[in-house]
Amino acid sequence: MANGTAKPPGLAFSRETFAKLTPGPFLQAHLQQPEPIRPNGRSLDAFRTPTIHTGSLSHSNGSAVVRLGDTAIVCGVRAEILLASDIPHPPGEDTSEDDLVERLGLLVPNVELSTGCSPGHLPGNPPSTVAQALSYRILSLLHTSNLINADDLRILYTEPASEDDLPDEGSKVVTKAFWALYIDVLCIALDGNPFDAAWAAVISALKSTQLPKAWWDPDREMILCSPLATETHGLRLDDIPVASTFAVFSTGSALKQRSEAESWVLADPDGFEEDVCSETVTAVARSDDGGVGSITRLEKSGGGAIGKAAMGRCVHMAQQRWREWQGVLHGG
Amino acid sequence: MQTDRRRLNAPPGGTAPPVFAALPDTKLQRPTRSRKPDEHRKLFLRTGIVPSASGSAYYEIPPQQQQQTALLVPQHSSLKITCTVHGPRPLPRNAAFSPNLLLSAHVKFAPFATRNRRGYVRDASERDLGAHLETALRGVVIGERFPKSGCEVVLTVLEGEEDGWGAGGAEVKGEGWGIMTVLAGCITAASAALVDAGIDCVDLVSGGVAAVIDAGRRGDQEDGVVILDPAPSEHDGEIGAACVVAYLKSRDEVTELWIKGDAGAQVQILIDEAVKAASLVRAVLADAVKDAVEAKIGEAEDDAATTGLAKEGKGKSKEVVMTG
Repeated sequence: MANGTAKPPGLAFSRETFAKLTPGPFLQAHLQQPEPIRPNGRSLDAFRTPTIHTGSLSHSNGSAVVRLGDTAIVCGVRAEILLASDIPHPPGEDTSEDDLVERLGLLVPNVELSTGCSPGHLPGNPPSTVAQALSYRILSLLHTSNLINADDLRILYTEPASEDDLPDEGSKVVTKAFWALYIDVLCIALDGNPFDAAWAAVISALKSTQLPKAWWDPDREMILCSPLATETHGLRLDDIPVASTFAVFSTGSALKQRSEAESWVLADPDGFEEDVCSETVTAVARSDDGGVGSITRLEKSGGGAIGKAAMGRCVHMAQQRWREWQGVLHGG
Repeated sequence: MQTDRRRLNAPPGGTAPPVFAALPDTKLQRPTRSRKPDEHRKLFLRTGIVPSASGSAYYEIPPQQQQQTALLVPQHSSLKITCTVHGPRPLPRNAAFSPNLLLSAHVKFAPFATRNRRGYVRDASERDLGAHLETALRGVVIGERFPKSGCEVVLTVLEGEEDGWGAGGAEVKGEGWGIMTVLAGCITAASAALVDAGIDCVDLVSGGVAAVIDAGRRGDQEDGVVILDPAPSEHDGEIGAACVVAYLKSRDEVTELWIKGDAGAQVQILIDEAVKAASLVRAVLADAVKDAVEAKIGEAEDDAATTGLAKEGKGKSKEVVMTG
């Protein structure tokens, strides 16, 4: 401004530029309105609608493709045989049924994010911390919820009576082998909330899993399977847990009083919101007798903005979400 | 077996894929080729499936016929490939100066892509596919327009072409012909994704495969027959040689040529047929790209119409004015 009289031209920023330059204030401006609407057009507690396709992969025993908005995840379940004689330290007789799957390591879930699904996870590197954490969370949730029955994974053999058996004893049934399930979760497109989508993909794939009929062939001393699709059995998953993730956006900072800070709970965050919010809550609901959905797992990380009341609201929303998912999972 | 400490591993005892018993009373029919020698399988191509990437494409060759009997082991092979392109973006600070666009291609099979389960770490054959793809694409991209930048082309093969016909069992005595079709699919998908990402190219590049079958089997045709787009499960043990080309139709150039096997005197015909297959694929590729561009133009027009009107729809005013 040489002479200071001419008004400088205004710099108009498009919405996208504003969001990229100052994501925090951009989100805050959206949330501070009397009727808060998130930049993606959803209200605070609106989840994205899931779509599920099962059985599209020909080389898997069970498979599912789950889309949650712009997040797309493919999951394939592949069953392989673990011979009981190969187990290095067989669990004793006293191991409970629930522990057996975990003791033997029969479920092997792996989440792969470096498929080019987002610029933050490029291939050529070992799996990132996020991917490792996701794999482990899915494994521990599969174990704690006791989703898979060890009986479904056993391959039994009735031994013929031999001479040294006592005549009044019935024929002995032994477990010759177990099915080990490799659960491979590939993220095709990532736009926030990978855990909910990956978990939904895992349970839908497990639901569609069909294990072939298998038997021990004493002559060849190996396990043989029937190639007929009619002679298969599925896994008994009577109770399906559903995960719901929330992100918490807070204006608090170390320089301000805590009471001045405002915070909002955003259900099912997308990629943009996940980058801005540091605090997340994941609640996993499963059925109880009342049909309300009891909480089987609750995780909260980062920040301290969310209080007791807000946590209660998250749990309530997770239970509602569980009821919505029942329709989607059982319907398709 | 080396355990991977960053992933969850197989149970310590080690597992084996199931072995299927032979069916006593049914004779399995091998899938046969029902299309003409110069006919390509139908394919599906779509761009823009991954919004978080600069460009993306999905390529699929659906299975030819429905499963004959209710068998667990698939009789027909299909091909499903997703491709994402990230870039062009600046090279990291510590990288050396490059006057051209640095292109890198990764090809990875999903663990469930093939009959035998694959690992998560890229093996030599996948790295080789990546190198082939990179040479095919390097001749198309105008690298001089993007100095000091890099571009990643990432392909995930969700379902790979079979190497042979399994006869209902789990084992396939593969001769590695399936990988040729996979490479051709990768080239086409990558080309569509590059266009979707808006990276300047001299032409669309498409991949085509041709093969020599029945060499020395029929008396009258010593040299065998050349066919387009072979599905290895339909020609179990009959393929003598196969050829993949990456072809630029409007410039009539070949950026990548890979011949495997002994084609004898028919090498020239084999290459010509592969080029013909690539031209057939190009029609689909051009259509997919054209559809995507038309959709984009339509969107831009809609946007222009809405920005002209009042913008109260989403609550917040969409523009911020900064004055100096």
